[in-house]
Order: sequence, then structure tokens, then C-alpha cells
Amino acid sequence: MSLDGLATQLLALSTGALLLTAALLVWRRSLAAAARLLAVQGVALAALVVSIAAAERDAELLGVAAVVLALKGVVIPLVLGRGVRATGVDRENALRVNPTSGLVGVTLLATLAYLVSRPITQATAGIGGTAAGPAAFAVPVGLTMVLVGLLLVVTRRRALSQLVGFLVLDNGIATVAFLTAAGVPFVVELGVSLDVLLVALILAVLSGRLHAALGAVSVDELNELRD
Amino acid sequence: MTAPLVAQLALALVAVLAAVAAPDRIRGAVAGTATLATAAAGAWAGVLALGGATGALEVPSALPGVVLRLAPDRLGGLFMLVAGVVGAAVAVYAIGYAHGVTASRTQWAALPVFLLGMQLVPAAGDLVAFLLAWELMAGGSTVLVLAEHSRRAQTREAALWYAVTTHLSMLAILGGFAVLAAQTGATDFAGLAAADPRSAAASLAFVLLAVGFGTKAGVVPLHVWLPRAHPEAPSHASAAMSAAMVKMGVYGLLLVTLRLLPGGPTWWAAVLVGVGALSAVYGILQAAVASDLKRLLAYSTSENVGLIVLALGMALLLRDEADAPASLALLACLLLVVSHAAFKTTLFLGAGAVLRATGERDLDRLGGLAHRMPWTTAAFGLGALGAAALPVTGGFVAEWTLLQAMIHAAEPGERVVAATVPLALGVIALTAGLALLTFVKAFGIAFLARPRSLGAETAREVPVGMRVAMVASGVAVVGLGVAPGPVAAGLAQAVGVDGVGSAGLGGVTLDGVGAVLDPVALAVLSVAVVLPAIVASAVLARRRPRTVGAPAWGCGRIRTSPRMQYTATSYAEPLMRVFDDALQPTRDIEVTHVAESQYLADRVQYSQRVDDVVEVRLYAPVIRVADRVADAARRVQNGSITRYLAFAFAALVVVLVVVSR
Amino acid sequence: MSAVEVAGRVLVAIVQVAVVTALAPIVMGVTRQTRARLEGRAGAGVGQPWRDLRKLWRKRPIRATGTTAVGVVAPLVLLASGLVAGALVPLVVAAPLPQVPGDLFVVVSALLVGTVALALLGLDAGTAFGGMGSSRHMMIAALVEPTVLMAVYALSIPVGSSTLSLIVAARRDDPATIASPAGVLAVVALAVVVLAETGRLPVDNPATHLELTMVHEAMVLETSGPDLAWVELGSWLRLTVLLGLVANLMVPWGVAGGASPGALLLGVVALAAKVVLLGAALGAGEVAMAKLRLFRVPELLAGSFALAFLAVTASYLVA
Repeated sequence: MSLDGLATQLLALSTGALLLTAALLVWRRSLAAAARLLAVQGVALAALVVSIAAAERDAELLGVAAVVLALKGVVIPLVLGRGVRATGVDRENALRVNPTSGLVGVTLLATLAYLVSRPITQATAGIGGTAAGPAAFAVPVGLTMVLVGLLLVVTRRRALSQLVGFLVLDNGIATVAFLTAAGVPFVVELGVSLDVLLVALILAVLSGRLHAALGAVSVDELNELRD
Repeated sequence: MTAPLVAQLALALVAVLAAVAAPDRIRGAVAGTATLATAAAGAWAGVLALGGATGALEVPSALPGVVLRLAPDRLGGLFMLVAGVVGAAVAVYAIGYAHGVTASRTQWAALPVFLLGMQLVPAAGDLVAFLLAWELMAGGSTVLVLAEHSRRAQTREAALWYAVTTHLSMLAILGGFAVLAAQTGATDFAGLAAADPRSAAASLAFVLLAVGFGTKAGVVPLHVWLPRAHPEAPSHASAAMSAAMVKMGVYGLLLVTLRLLPGGPTWWAAVLVGVGALSAVYGILQAAVASDLKRLLAYSTSENVGLIVLALGMALLLRDEADAPASLALLACLLLVVSHAAFKTTLFLGAGAVLRATGERDLDRLGGLAHRMPWTTAAFGLGALGAAALPVTGGFVAEWTLLQAMIHAAEPGERVVAATVPLALGVIALTAGLALLTFVKAFGIAFLARPRSLGAETAREVPVGMRVAMVASGVAVVGLGVAPGPVAAGLAQAVGVDGVGSAGLGGVTLDGVGAVLDPVALAVLSVAVVLPAIVASAVLARRRPRTVGAPAWGCGRIRTSPRMQYTATSYAEPLMRVFDDALQPTRDIEVTHVAESQYLADRVQYSQRVDDVVEVRLYAPVIRVADRVADAARRVQNGSITRYLAFAFAALVVVLVVVSR
Repeated sequence: MSAVEVAGRVLVAIVQVAVVTALAPIVMGVTRQTRARLEGRAGAGVGQPWRDLRKLWRKRPIRATGTTAVGVVAPLVLLASGLVAGALVPLVVAAPLPQVPGDLFVVVSALLVGTVALALLGLDAGTAFGGMGSSRHMMIAALVEPTVLMAVYALSIPVGSSTLSLIVAARRDDPATIASPAGVLAVVALAVVVLAETGRLPVDNPATHLELTMVHEAMVLETSGPDLAWVELGSWLRLTVLLGLVANLMVPWGVAGGASPGALLLGVVALAAKVVLLGAALGAGEVAMAKLRLFRVPELLAGSFALAFLAVTASYLVA
């Protein structure tokens, strides 16, 4: 099998893993499991970047892949895991939408994502060559992840679960960015990733403090803080 | 062509006269036979029309210049045949079934009128004949629904719902046809077809006609009359209404989309698919949790009509994209029509037999009928097999064809198609799964296990005539499944679909998508693989001591009461919980404490009711408004005859002024 | 197709059915043995299911009073459904039978016939537990159905046919499709529903002795002797066939393309290796898993449905 064939294979596998983890995140209530799934998602994202790097023969992208792997695959999930342990509550027990309906929602969102990204995939497919393959595969996947991330943010009550949603959203944006721009410059990716890390750290610490102060970290209860 | 039509009209007249004139003792036999002959004549006309015979019967009317034209085309012939065969089975069954209030003069006269109207609807060649036949059908069936009005208040309520919805649907149909007639200036179908399907007026006509025909077909959310009228009508009437009359709604939809306004915009198709999917899922969910056997069957009709409409919508949707799958979807639509007619007749007739033998239609009070009513059990079992779409029945062939059409619709250019097909496939699969549960419940709870009431315990098998009708329609269910080749070829001809061949003994091939289904070969294969086990069983049975009987396992108790069994309600309970949000049941737990202490319970009573969510949410407010308007209108009526005459007089003057202007 | 070819195909089908029937109890034995070893027990040995069957065949059947012919017929129907699926699913060889190609919908309905037979068997004796098992069994079956159709639909789109042997053959000849997002998601979804359909953890605990938690076992409480033997063999067949299908979709190599003895032998060996490995994996997985609450099962099935649906969208709209 040629290098390109292998790259395509890797790309297909990683986008599949991205979709799978996004769906599983809606399904699971356990935050510890969510942290593990996010780690898998981060690794899949890194694999996606590697496959693009291989297809584009671009060494800089390999550096980006390393950053993605380190931050999204290792550091952020670890931070999240610590946050979960700090609050001592693992289960999201007050969902606004039960997982069954949430999963059906995911299917509908996926359809929507594929429908709206059709013009993009068709436009890139028209160019031909290897560049057409990746974009065609993954733009809808990235868009689905963005939508699923938003769904998670809207339907979860705990601050940490909302953080999970936010991270999925970010991963989705990253996926789309990598594919449509055929790779993101190293510096930009580094900056964005560190930004996200900062947000994750702040939220994790904040929710730990909130838990210590208030006993529960349901975002609904923050409403009362405004006066 | 004219001969059978004339014969049909004449025989219907004979049947009505016989019903009115014959003495009580022989009324059933005489009127029933004449009704049977009417239905058979209609079926004969249907066969001829389906075979391609042309020719019209023109009946002059009292109005000058208005002629009723009966000229069935191939598609109409198919529906005439379906209505005729169902009608014949129903007539035979009714001879044994009708007794007491259901065997009165009015009832026996209404049956042939209803059947005649139903067969003339697809035979009609112009609007006047169509609407007249439609009203005969509506009027006849209303009288039949009312049969037991003197005994039960629910019957009167059901008949009221039925009459109101039927008339509203008639109004919608009239309106739709009026729009088309105003566009084209014609009243015969050939002339009406000249309307431009892309115009706004055509879309208005489509919406009105779809609402009208959809009401008759019982699609959600226009289905509210179905679960009321079917349980209250006598069983032979429910069978005819459910198996044949709702199909006239389907015929209407086919007439509009294929013959009058072919090539309408895509959203028509999308609407049909959406409505069909909604009906299918909602209908089968309600059926799955229903414990009244006839209500269950009524909701299952909503489900099946939903699938039929979905298939039609799919055919229209794919027409521009993929030719072969579109034709197959249309074929699947007709296969569903035919197989539903067969199994729903069987099931309603079976339910009638159970009702007759036990006096019960509540599944929670049935059980163990297999020992006492073997014929009914066998027939109902075949019908249930068809309704659950298992091989080798007509229902399976129909769903197989639909699924083949859908999975070969891949790579569409149109976005609507791309989004619709997977969703529709999921809906069909869920519907099929729930239908399986529904009919395992209906059959298993009613016929297996131990009797749950005295009525079930003392049941006796029904008379021969009823058995013949039930078993014959049950055999038809299997027949459609064993030899789908000729059936599919006939249906394909009715709508001009090519690429349907036959394979092996009665098998069917769909050339457009390269699929083959040979039920005979499948059956042979099944028997062949299990033959060693059967032989081994027989050998082992000879060697070992005789089988012994013992009481069933009671978890340590020696004797268990039949009340400990699972009932239909408990059988559907897990499903009810899963779909709690969609069904919204009301549950009540009432605990009575003993007098001495409030910590000890004396009695705990649990009750659960499932109301039709659509009815509660959609219709109840409308009915409240209508009631208020009616109350306000009552002020005009004070009982004074002079005032009523004054109204009439004023109206006459106004009309004259308008006319003379 | 010539008569010789037809005879060849039929012969191959017979071989496949025989192999699957012989394998089914062994797969079950491997699963149980793996589980026993991992739990620190000695285990009854891989051959125990076969010995159980032999014992049951010799026993005198006891039928609950008031049962009908369903008690006799349903076990045989269940067995037949497993065997028909064994003949139609491409396990040893990926060549469709004439007149009855392994059409996905036909295979699914053949399995459903077995499901229904078992559910009716549970209702037949009129006991509380039979009804309970039957009700739960049918609920699960009803919710599994959409996922099964959706998953194999996703797999059938690249091939353009719903014939399972063509799907497997296409995956074997073009391995790139195996790792496509659609392929991965569909196979994962299918694996979940196979667990649900065959009554394994986390949906049903096959080793339970408490009636209230039973699904499959509750339905067969009143069945004994040879009837029970057929029911058990039928259920094991169903598990083996479905495991074999999943295995062949994941790792399609080794499936014979024609009827030559060498290819057939290779196919048989490959199938045996794959299903035994999967059976061991199943046993090992079950050690680490707890049974889900019954009302969490719909979540699991909705999850697998979502995966299957994503698979369809992935392959349908991009292609």
C-alpha cells in the first residue's frame, strides 16, 4: 500500500473515531469516562493531523500534531480528571435531556451537518487529487462535533460537563480548520490550544472551588450569584 | 365491462330489498347471500378492469345533462378487486356473526349499500359518480357503526366522531376537486388531469385532497375516528372498514398524485413521507400499549396506512432521481395495500369470533383460547404473522420490496432525498420491531396461557360460516407470501411498473435492483435444515418413556392462580416506560390504610390509562371552541317556528337578490 | 447457472451449516470456560455444552399442564431459524445460494421468526416469569431491529447490494473500506446489537439464577428434555452465526470464494479460529461487566442506533 493509501486509511479511521467519541460522550453520564473519551478524541485528532501531514508532505504539521497530542490527548483530559476527583462527584445526574433522546438528537444533528457541508465537500471534490479526499471525509464530521459540543453545553447542568461540551466544540472547530485550510500554521495552533488549556484549567479550578463553597456545581445555581 | 357493473348495481338492490322484506329467521341467509353476490360481481369487474378491459357504464341521473360515469382503469380495478374480496369474506362471516341488534333490517340493508359504495369509488370515471359513491360508502358505514347504539353510550360517541370527521373529509375533498374543476373546467378525471401540477392552485387542491383522503385513510393526526369507530362497530363492519374502506383514502391519494396531478413539486412527496412516518410510528406505539383487542387492531391500521403513504411518498420523491427504486416503492405501496387488506380482514374477523365466543375484547381478560377455539386460533395466528411481516406472508413480501427500494436509492443528488431515506429506513425498522411485539402480545396473551376470566374459560368455537371466512382470509395472507411473483406482476401492471419478473415457484425478482425472493425455496431450505432435528425428536420420542405433565413453576408455590400471569398491560409495560414521553400515560396509585395504623396498607390500587396524545392536545381545544361557538349560536334558536320560517324567508330573499344582481 | 454449480453451492451450504452446528456449543463452552478461569474457577471444560445437550436428549420431557402445541413446535422453529441463518450468512464461504441469496432482510426476518417463537414459548405455560421474560425479550428485539437494519444498510451502500455474501466479499477484496468511518461505526453498532440480540451481558445475564432478573432463562423455565436441547442449541447457533458475521465483517480474510476443497478447508479453519477468539473475548469482557438495569438498556440500544445512523450518513451523503 502506498503512503497516500495509508494516509487516507489513517484519516478515515481517525474521523471515524472522532464521530464515535462524540456520540459516546452524549451517551455516558460519568465524567471520568468523559475524560477518557476526550483523551481518545485528542489522540484521534492528532492522528488526523498526522495523516494530513503525510498527504501534504509537510513537516511543520507533524509539530502541530505533537502539540495536539500533548495538549488535547494528555494534558486537558488530565486536568479534567483532576477536576472530577476534586469535586468528588462523578455522575451527571441532572440531565436536561435523557441520553436516549440526546442520541437521537445526535443523529439528526449529524444529518443536518452533512446536509449543510455538502456544498463544501462537493466544491473540494471538484478539485480532485488527494486534497479532495480528506475534506470530503471530515468537514461534516467536524461540523457534527461542533453541533454535538453545543448540544452537550446546552443539555448538561454541571460546570465540568459543560466544559466537556466546550472541548468537543473546540475539537470540532479544529477538525474543520485543519481540513479546509489544509493545515493550520504551527504558531496559530499552539496559541489556540494553550488558550483552550487555560479555559479548561480555570473552569476546573473554579468548579472545584464552587464545589467546596456551595456543595454542588450545577450551573443553574449560579443564577443566584448575580445579585 | 358493463355487464358486471350492471350486475353489481342490480344485486345490491336485491340485497337491500331482501334485507328489508325477508322475515327475521331467514334474513341473514338471504341478505347475506345477495351481499356476497354483490361483492363478487364487483370483484369480477375489478378483475376485468385490472386485466385491461375498457368500457364505461353511464347512468343517467335526475338532473338534465348530468351523467354518472363508471369507468374503472387498471388501478381502480385493483381496488375494486380488493374491496370485492374483502366484502365477500365479510358477507359470509356476517351470516353467522350478525345476531340481535346487529341483524336488524337497517343493519342488513346498510351492509350492501356500504360495500357497493366502496366498490364504486374506484370505478368512478368522473367527479359526480366519485362523490356519490363516496357518500354511499360514508353513509352506509355510519349506520353500521351505530348498530349497538342502544346498548352503549360509547357507540353513540364513536359514531358522532366518525360522522363528523367523515363529513369534514368530504368537505375537504369537495373543495379540492372544486379547485381543480375551476382550473380545468372539466368534471371527468381525464379532463381534470389537464391542470398544471406546478401551479399554486394545484398545490391548494393537493393539500385539500390530501387532508380529505388522509382522514379517510386514518393517517395521524387525522386518525382520531379510527380507534373509536373500529372497536364499537360490529366486527364484520370493522373488518370491511379497516381492510377496505381506509384503502379508498389511499386510492384517492394515488388518484391525485399519479393520475390527476402527476409531477407535482418535491414538497408534496416530502409531506407524504413525513406524515406516513409519523402515522407508522405513532400508530404502532399506541397499538403496542393497547389492551382492547379491536382498538389495537385499529391503531395497527393507522400504522399500516402510514407505511403505505410513506411508500407512495418515497416513490414520488425518488421519481426524478432513481427510476427503478421509485417504481419499486410504488409496487411496495400496492403490495402493502393488498397484504394489509388480507391480514386485517383475518384479524378483525378473528377478534369478532373471540368477542362472540367470550363476550370480551379486553386482552387482559382473555387467555387460553387455543384449546377451545382451534380454528380461530389458527386463522388469527396467520393474520398476526402477516401483520408482524414475518416470512412467508404477504406482509413480509411488501416490506421486503419497500426496503429493497430504499436501500437502492443510494447516491442521490437531491438533498431532501439524502436526508429522507435514512430517516425513513429507521422509522420503518422501528415500526417493524414494534409490530412484532404488538402481535406477539395480541396472539400470545389472547390464545395461549391460561384463561383470565370466566368468559374465556367457557368459550366455544364459532359456527362454520364464520370459520370459513376467517380461515379463507388467513390462507390468503400466506398465499400472498408464498407466491408473490404473480401478485407482484399483476400489481406492477396496474401502475405500469416494469422490471418485475418471476423466479422459481412463485418467487419474484426485481430486475431494476437485482434482488430475488423465492419464498418456496426459503421454506424448503428451512424444512431441509431442521429435518434432522425433527427426525431425531421422533426417534428419541419412541425410545424414551412417555411425556409427563406437571404444574408450571410457581417459584416455590405449589399452585398458581391465572391472575399471576402477565396480562397485555403488563406485557407492554416496559415499552410504555421506554416511550413514556411520547405516550404520556396517566398513572394513579391509591393506597387505603388499615384503620389502626397509617403505616399498614390494606389495599393498593394501581390504575393506568393511555389517552391519545394527539386527540388531547390537538382536538380537545378545537372542540372546546366549537362548543362555545355552538352555544353562542343557540341564542338564535328560541324554539319559535315563526322565527325559523322568518330565517328561511330572509335567506330566500338574500339569495334572490344575489342571483338577480 | 449450471446444475453442477447449483449442486456445488448447495453442498457448500450443507458444509457450512454442519460446521456452524458443530461449532456453536464449542464457542459457548469456550466463552464459559474463559469466564470461569478469569473468575478463578476451574470451569466445566470446553466440551460441557455438548455433554449438556447429550444429557438433555436422553431426558424425559415434562410439559406444564395447559400448554399447547407451541411448546413442541417453538423449540424446533427457533432451531430452524438459527440453522437457516447459518446457511445464508457468509461464514465459511461468500457465495450466495441460488434463489435464496443471503439477503440481509431475509436473514433478519429468519432470526426474527426465532425470536417470536421463543417469546410465544415463554407465554405458553401461563406463568408470571414466562410472561415477564417474553415481554422483556420482545421489547429488546423491537428496539434492536432499527439498529440491525441501519448498520447493515450502511455496510451495503458501498457495495450496492443487500446480499451479505457480496458485502463480505467486497470488504475482503478492498480492505480500504473496512477502516472507513462508515465501516467502523457500523461494525461497532452491529456488535452492540449482537450482544443484545443473543442475551449476553450487559443486556441479559445468561448465568443468573434469580427469576426477576432473567430474560432468556425466564422464557425457557417450563421447557425440558429434548425441547430444551433444541432451544439451547438454537440460541447458541444464533450467537455463533452473529459472532461469525461480525468477525467476517471485521476480518474478512479466509472466507472462501468458491467451492474448491482447499479454500473450503481454509474457510472452516478461519471461521473456527475467529469465532473461538471472539467467544473467548466475549467471556473475558463479561467478567469485567455488570448487567445494565433493564430501563437503561434502551439507552444502550439508542446509542448503537446513533452509531449506525452516523455510519449511514457518513457513507451515504459523502459518497
